[in-house]
Amino acid sequence: MSFKRLVTLSCLLGSLLTFGSACTKKKPGEEAKASGGKGGPKVFYHLRTAEEKSIDPHKQFDAASALMVRSLYDTLFQYHYLKRPYDLQPALLEKMPEKKEGNTYLFTIKKGVKFNDNACFPEGKGRELNADDVIFSIKRFADHHVNDRSYTLFAGRLVGLDEFREKSKKEAKGFDYNKLDVPGLKKVDNYSFTMQFTSDSPLNLYPLAASQMSIVAPEAVKKYGDDFDKNPVGTGPFVMKTYSRRGTTVLSKNPNYWETYPTEGEAGDQEKGLLAAAGQKLPFVDEIQLPLIEEPQPAMLKFKSGQLHWVGINRDDFQAMIDRFDDKQFKLKPAFADKFSLYYAPSLSTTYLKFSFQDKLVGKNKALRQAIAAAIDYEGYINLMLNGRGYASQSLIPAEIAGSSKDTGSQWYKTDLELAKKKLAEAGFPEGKGLPELNIEYRSTSKDARQLFEYIRSSLGKVGIKVNGNFQTFSNFLKKTEAGNFQLADAGWNADYPDAENFYALLYGPNKAPLPNDGNFENARYDELYLKMKDMPNGPERFKITAEMDAIVKEEVPYVLLYNQIIAALLQKDVRNFKRHMMDEYPYKYFDVAPK
Amino acid sequence: MLAYLVRRILQMIPIILGVSLLVFLLFTTVGEDPVRMALGNHATPEAIAGLQAKWGLDQPLYMQYLAFLKQIVTLDFGESYTSGDKLSEMFGHGAIVSLWLTVPPFVVGLVLNLAIAVLIAFYRGSWIDRYSTFLFVAGMSISYLVYIMFFQYVFAFILGWFPINGYEPGLDGVPYLILPWIIITIVSAGPDIRLFRTVFLDETKADYVRTAFAKGCSPRDVMFKHIMKNAMIPVLTYTVINIPTLILGAFLMERFFSIPGTGDILITAINNGDFPIIKALTVLIAIGFTVFNLITDILYAYVDPRVQLD
Repeated sequence: MSFKRLVTLSCLLGSLLTFGSACTKKKPGEEAKASGGKGGPKVFYHLRTAEEKSIDPHKQFDAASALMVRSLYDTLFQYHYLKRPYDLQPALLEKMPEKKEGNTYLFTIKKGVKFNDNACFPEGKGRELNADDVIFSIKRFADHHVNDRSYTLFAGRLVGLDEFREKSKKEAKGFDYNKLDVPGLKKVDNYSFTMQFTSDSPLNLYPLAASQMSIVAPEAVKKYGDDFDKNPVGTGPFVMKTYSRRGTTVLSKNPNYWETYPTEGEAGDQEKGLLAAAGQKLPFVDEIQLPLIEEPQPAMLKFKSGQLHWVGINRDDFQAMIDRFDDKQFKLKPAFADKFSLYYAPSLSTTYLKFSFQDKLVGKNKALRQAIAAAIDYEGYINLMLNGRGYASQSLIPAEIAGSSKDTGSQWYKTDLELAKKKLAEAGFPEGKGLPELNIEYRSTSKDARQLFEYIRSSLGKVGIKVNGNFQTFSNFLKKTEAGNFQLADAGWNADYPDAENFYALLYGPNKAPLPNDGNFENARYDELYLKMKDMPNGPERFKITAEMDAIVKEEVPYVLLYNQIIAALLQKDVRNFKRHMMDEYPYKYFDVAPK
Repeated sequence: MLAYLVRRILQMIPIILGVSLLVFLLFTTVGEDPVRMALGNHATPEAIAGLQAKWGLDQPLYMQYLAFLKQIVTLDFGESYTSGDKLSEMFGHGAIVSLWLTVPPFVVGLVLNLAIAVLIAFYRGSWIDRYSTFLFVAGMSISYLVYIMFFQYVFAFILGWFPINGYEPGLDGVPYLILPWIIITIVSAGPDIRLFRTVFLDETKADYVRTAFAKGCSPRDVMFKHIMKNAMIPVLTYTVINIPTLILGAFLMERFFSIPGTGDILITAINNGDFPIIKALTVLIAIGFTVFNLITDILYAYVDPRVQLD
């Protein structure tokens, strides 16, 4: 190896560097800046933070796949984009279903809704949606060979559907659904069908808004077979232009989409410009670019350089870019305020620690549970661990769901060390003397889980309660908690549908593991009230009942309610019509990008 | 030679069996339960049983292990638990991307690092040697992640010389790969140059070097014609044994630069409890190591005539 060769190699490396700069097709900012340009297509640049598992709606079960499914397919119902609390409204339906005899409802489909053009149709032209497609899709959702993850969503609700699922096990994969009848699902004509539910509950309709119950084209399922998830054919606002699970997926506008932008919203939406596009045809953007970016650093760098329109914000970036104020208000720091917009909204989730009532110590000692609830510094926890992005929970119900503490006036424990000490003495452990170390189970071995635990340990240590953290794999955590084999466990609940019942069901006695009440809480009065409120419409009468349920939870402390999280995101200034929607996290069809 | 080859290939069988058994036991006893990972909270016993049956996890352990051995023999590792994609296709695409990411800096780095190591060894004890030793040790002490984050921030975001991340197949991908190539080259410089320098310096103490000087060879001739040739055996071992890892890509690099290679597949599989991917890649790498070990031994005979393959 001579010096000459060394020099040659250095030159080679130097030229690679130069080549790299020269070859960079799009300079930072160029992509997003180009999106609103006159004449050119409007492109919305977002990202995927995880690979989707399957974009076949009936196999889909993860958030990453839901992002795609919601853009490619439609459901019978959807939640209003602007109204809060979340309001269920017809999507593919002409109107809300009409009640007929007993628990039977008549559903009428919108006329003129067409599937996207695809080779599975004669001459490649998408045909009109009809009642057969809906019946096929519901049966396919229940087909054991297709759906092994999300059937519980609708299980037990439609007469004969559970039996259909059972029978499907004995049929071959891809069997003809016409062979097996579902008594509760009948076609009336091309545009209408009836559903007979097993009970008359308003909750029956919520699952029909879930992305897993999207309506698919039977021709596409038949043509593509196992590859249907790579060849989506729906009636959704976008069609798949390029699909790359581990690269950049591109969705392009469905020019024949049926929906228009909402004409009403909640108070303040008009002032925020959220109704400026009222009544206009959706979607507004021509294309959505969705590269897979799994790490927060490159995502934030791309956003800051203008290559993404919308990005989530992690704890470190939040600290660096955002000022917070005491009243849960947040503002971008001056250095960023001119460049970007900040959006934040409460999530539909509640985070808590749960007790096992099978445990002889914590399960039998109410005063000890109350002492723990009174000892935790909730606001300190939210400020330190979440950068203030959370509300201390006042009840099981998150703020944006009807029946939250805003409606019931319920209140949870405030940090009160004197009360905690008093309750601890009442529990038989004055100043913690004689109390063995309590174990808290965590579902992860991550740094974040350990930090959260340290905060709890420090809070409880102030009154003499000692705790130990068990950090483990997710599956081990599930096995342990579902067996009731724990004292305290890290837990939380995200709304399946925006109704208080979904949260109160967590503590309903018969819902023991594997259903969500794996702490095995039992309270006869609570169960009685739950059954009463379950199928009631929201209103003062229901809120009176739930207020009493909140009081039971506060008294019995099956959970230590920690916080309702606030979700924050950053947007480029040219994004229009953006409102965070927790039941449809990526509602691209409503977004617009202002022209330059 | 043929007998040697046959013997070595036969010796590979218990090694692969051992690795496969270890991997299998590790993931079935200690690792995540893939069914629970897939179904999450509140899965019904029926759903759990259904998925276990679908993935063959309801079979006794020995049956599952035999099925795994069959996969190794046929090199058909089935499908991913999470996406249902065929692993052969996933690995095929991933390996090409990973090789595109790792081979250029591996080759350039090897040549460059050898050259620098020779240079440093040639000037041993001088300021060049001292300062470069300091520089490379300092470089080795910094985490790979720091290099990635720093270079991505400074050269891609602040200076805008490179795309922040992304990938396109073929030559279109080159602009996206240059920054990762540079980082890999720089990160590999410290350990490689330190090793190569030590090898070269060890050789300078050998008798044949003194003989060469006695015969009147110049220091440059001794270094390049005699020492370098003899130092090739450890260099060869180090280089060839690293080749299988190239297929695995560079985990963090692929993650941060959104390069869809095998390393990224593996990390995602670990996060998702996608056992088929993890066990297939582990066994394939083990096979790769044993094969390249064999190749190294064969190459010894060509590099050093004193080595006999018998």
